[in-house]
Amino acid sequence: MKTRREFLQGLIVSVGGATALSACSGAATIAATAPGQRGRFYTGNEIALLSRICDLIIPRTETPGALDANVPGYLDGLMTDWASDETRSIHRKALQLIAARLDAASGNFLSASEETAVRVLTELDSNAFSGGGLAGYRSLKGYITRAYFATEEGAMEELKWVALPGRWDPSVDISAGD
Amino acid sequence: MADFDAIVVGSGMSGGMSAKELTERGLKVLVLERGPEIIPERDYTDQLAPWQSPNLDNVPQDEIKQHYPKQYGGVAYAIKESTKHFWVKDDEHPYEEAEGTSYDWLRGYHTAGRSIMWSRQTYRMGPQDFTANKEEGVGVDWPVRYEEIVPWYEKVEKFIGIAGSEEGLNQLPDSVFQPAFELTDAEKSFKQKIETTFNGRNVIPARIAHLTDATEEQRSLGRTNCQSRNRCHHGCTFKAYFSSLNATLPAAERTGNLTIIHNAIVRGLDYDFASNRVSGVQVIDAETNERRTYTSKMVFLNASAIASALILLQSKSEAFPTGLANRSDQVGRNLMDHVSGAGVAGIMTGFDDKTVFGRRPSGGIYIPRYANVTENDKPYKRGFGFQGGASPLGNAGGQIAGIGRDFKEAHKLPGPWRFSVLAFGEQLPNPDNRVTLHASRRDRWGNPVPIFNVAYGENEHIMQREALKDARAMMEAAGCINITSNDADLSKPGNRIHEMGSARMGRDPATSVLNGWCQAHDVPNLFITDGAFMTSSACQNPSLSYMAFSARAAHYAADLVAEGAL
Repeated sequence: MKTRREFLQGLIVSVGGATALSACSGAATIAATAPGQRGRFYTGNEIALLSRICDLIIPRTETPGALDANVPGYLDGLMTDWASDETRSIHRKALQLIAARLDAASGNFLSASEETAVRVLTELDSNAFSGGGLAGYRSLKGYITRAYFATEEGAMEELKWVALPGRWDPSVDISAGD
Repeated sequence: MADFDAIVVGSGMSGGMSAKELTERGLKVLVLERGPEIIPERDYTDQLAPWQSPNLDNVPQDEIKQHYPKQYGGVAYAIKESTKHFWVKDDEHPYEEAEGTSYDWLRGYHTAGRSIMWSRQTYRMGPQDFTANKEEGVGVDWPVRYEEIVPWYEKVEKFIGIAGSEEGLNQLPDSVFQPAFELTDAEKSFKQKIETTFNGRNVIPARIAHLTDATEEQRSLGRTNCQSRNRCHHGCTFKAYFSSLNATLPAAERTGNLTIIHNAIVRGLDYDFASNRVSGVQVIDAETNERRTYTSKMVFLNASAIASALILLQSKSEAFPTGLANRSDQVGRNLMDHVSGAGVAGIMTGFDDKTVFGRRPSGGIYIPRYANVTENDKPYKRGFGFQGGASPLGNAGGQIAGIGRDFKEAHKLPGPWRFSVLAFGEQLPNPDNRVTLHASRRDRWGNPVPIFNVAYGENEHIMQREALKDARAMMEAAGCINITSNDADLSKPGNRIHEMGSARMGRDPATSVLNGWCQAHDVPNLFITDGAFMTSSACQNPSLSYMAFSARAAHYAADLVAEGAL
């Protein structure tokens, strides 16, 4: 039986694998952004929308959430420093479509209550992952998730990423008790 | 009086081994490396934490378009912001493709070459691989048989370190092993079901050049056991995987007989008609464009199969108007790679209560060749091995439904186990698959730009089509669900990064470039021990064979020097 700590470390490996490892981030280089504040790429409105979506998708729990890890700032850097004009354009159009859908469902997504915001984003998310198109939303969710787990908060506090496993154990039991 | 006893062109997989063996025999060796020096403390990036590289460690998209369209198109998985310095910029090192063909020439120009970025799968060729050409009347006969190379495999294996398991398979002989990386439970289940269902097929742990029980000799070179980080494409501070920078070059260095010169691009080899010898190696400095000539008693070309052929083609003289050592007209021809296409993935159920600890650095399972070995009903020649493995699917990069706590915490769960296999098949030698020099276009150093004209033949297409059926049948037999495949679209020639055959060895100088010692038939002090010498490709990953033949040739050449024959 593995200890809880070992179990968690094992999990990191499985989540870590190639994905988390290839998902390296430069949190240190990213200027902090706050909702409503203009980014290098995003407008103030886009930052506000992105921040609310980030907070709903990866909220603060016992560990930091996407806002604590400044995922909006991370994505602002990604779009500015990594993305081509074509990717930026696709991403911006996706944000506009997402905003329109969320506003239509909630009246005003940014000012909607927490309960309403959760409901309409859950609906959108569900549509996107059940053949309802919305590739731009799935792409955004991918950016948010990969960015979060590439930050020190996401990698260390949430995933308990292990820099130096030191050994290979091909068979770790996950028991109900853990 | 020559400057050196030997000049080795190239510091990668085979060049490192040539240099090690020659210097350990007491010869003064100059290694010419066309790229800059890699200093591990400065240039390895394996110690970076995930959050220490910007932009998800992605290379900016415009930069890829400008500098790495071919490299990234070929190996996107390995070209990250933190590793791009190990890959050439395509715009600085151009090549052309004959109309209607496509070729991936994937390279790194720096100390140790691609031995820094390789995927470390390490297998011997088997007895059948050395006799197939003769038996089938394909290409030319190897002038060497398996038994002759066995002692050199053993010598190299003890030095480099290979994690693997003894299986006693005739077609894939065991190496000298360190303990294998144990299979996951899903892989063990797959093994049991395949070996029960398909008589003669085996599922074994991948054999990979990672230390798992480092020897005294390996420790003396500063090498330690693999730490299961899977950061190998970034270099390895622990020197746990084999590269020439981690092992052979330091071994050569400590003899006191090694000189390495970086940024030295070879323009051509001088030939002395009177003595019938290579008399000098002309280089141009990559940074200053300064031209120099170095001399030695002999030259080992280890520039890579393609680059070594190009050097010969560039070295024209009255005696060799079509390129040095090319009286057979085989230089640049018979260019081979391994062919993939048959790739299948599926989900293995029943292991949801299992996960793993540590990040296995490479491999997983290997299914040794069975086609035309234990199963002889195939509509194609030769065969293939499958590489693959099972691991928890884990983080789907946000591509699962849900938001909030449940979504966040789902990333801590291992998820379903995904099993995948990919065939690596043998490509038959074909003299029409060749690299030649452009008549007028030159690179920035004045060297002719190469033109590739390579295509797969009928045998490769049929083989991959059949391999795909086999892979699906095995996945089904193993109980996989949601099986998907890539419909046997063949990998681009060059994409497996196992180029070989462009200066093949053979028994007859009229039809081959090298003799059985990797020595040019036409020019006795010229040796080629990179992939160029390969008379056929077999289906195994070839680096171990390059190194074994390099060691063997180096000792043969050192003997010739001792006898005064060179």
